[in-house]
Amino acid sequence: MNCQRFETVVSEVARGQMMAAEQREDALAHSDACDDCAARLGDEQMLTLGLQSLASEMESLEASRDIEAKLLEAFRARTVVVPITKRSRAGYWLAAIAAMLLIAMSVVVFRWSNRPTDEPRHAIKQEQPKPQTTNKSNEQVVQDVEKPDVELLQPSKPKRVRPVTSRRPNNASVANHVTKEIATDFIPLSYMSAASLQEGGQIIRVQVPRSALANFGLPVNMDRYNEKVKADVLYGVDGMARAIRFVQ
Amino acid sequence: MTTGLHRRMKLKSDVNDNDLLRLMLAGDEEALALLYRRRQGNVYRFALQMSGSRSIAEDVTQEVFLFLMREGHIFDASKGTVGAFLLGVARVHVLRRLRAEHRLEPLGDDSDDDDLFMHSTTDVCPLEDLTRAETIESVRKAVLSLPPKYREVVVLCELQDVSYGETAEILGCAIGTVRSRLHRGRALLLAKLRPAEDVEETGAATVKSARCFA
Repeated sequence: MNCQRFETVVSEVARGQMMAAEQREDALAHSDACDDCAARLGDEQMLTLGLQSLASEMESLEASRDIEAKLLEAFRARTVVVPITKRSRAGYWLAAIAAMLLIAMSVVVFRWSNRPTDEPRHAIKQEQPKPQTTNKSNEQVVQDVEKPDVELLQPSKPKRVRPVTSRRPNNASVANHVTKEIATDFIPLSYMSAASLQEGGQIIRVQVPRSALANFGLPVNMDRYNEKVKADVLYGVDGMARAIRFVQ
Repeated sequence: MTTGLHRRMKLKSDVNDNDLLRLMLAGDEEALALLYRRRQGNVYRFALQMSGSRSIAEDVTQEVFLFLMREGHIFDASKGTVGAFLLGVARVHVLRRLRAEHRLEPLGDDSDDDDLFMHSTTDVCPLEDLTRAETIESVRKAVLSLPPKYREVVVLCELQDVSYGETAEILGCAIGTVRSRLHRGRALLLAKLRPAEDVEETGAATVKSARCFA
């Protein structure tokens, strides 16, 4: 054994770790022959002794008894204790059902919130009765006029969210351009309320970093993170940006 | 009758940790008490040796067993013992506390929180008589001043007498890594415990060793 090899095993020898008897004898024989390695082994043995002394000094130390009392109190306070195997399986099922219910409720709420307001529809129907009603009797006309009120009272069916493009004016040049685009709804900026979007203004097409999508809670394709994305910014009559929508 | 017998059985101290944990998760309070009394010392001492603070050690001990109550079902007996599992949880909590309190830096000589051992100053080399109380204090400070990744291996292998295999499980690393860190940790301890004049001599000795090898 040489000094370099001795160095790799000196800790094990000093700590009395299990090792091949032949290797230990070789190491001890080398330390007998080499003064430096003998000193090295002596240092390691002293360190081992010091660490053992420290360990034995601390062996009697324990946490205070208050902790046990607190833990037992906390244990008693637990209301439901589910056995280990059932808990894991039942937990997964419960989580899955809860997630499905949450998704279903979100869809219903989303559709309900995007449904056009009933009041204008009602007014339009009153002002512009359907052509078929002109041939009907007065009673039928009255029934038709009253019909929207009945509809208002009934829970309306969730309506499909129409794409923004269908709301645009029927201008051929614009439509030709717009129908190729998909856009989000206008998202109010900062403290602006959704009602302020009705005041009108000017829309300006801009390009923003794709990371801006994340600021509005929209998903970002990380593969195209460095690319820009088109957006329409709605400016109010006072020149302040009111809302933004993203266009694809 | 059966319940009473079962209750008496589980109160026996020879019930192994795995069974105690299973009983505890099924709602048995006495199993928790027995498991706590059996394992709290190791957890507490590990946290104390890692942090040097009684208050952190007590907090960590409490957090470890609270974690066991809440998340004990994640324990997998095929991956190690309950004792190793608890030390692994304790390690995570200790390191989090040390990071939060910025105590991962080497501690200075004016460390305030510990009256664990009596303090006294001495001019003798610590390596000459490591069994003396003041030298034990020096060793304790040297251990606390080690970088965390060496400190945890030294604490587990040297002070807690945990095997290399279990230490590897606790730290989530290979046994070879444990060995090399322990070797490095011991070398750092020796360097810290050795007086300055000896360091110079050791430097010369290192050169001599190299020549010897050559």
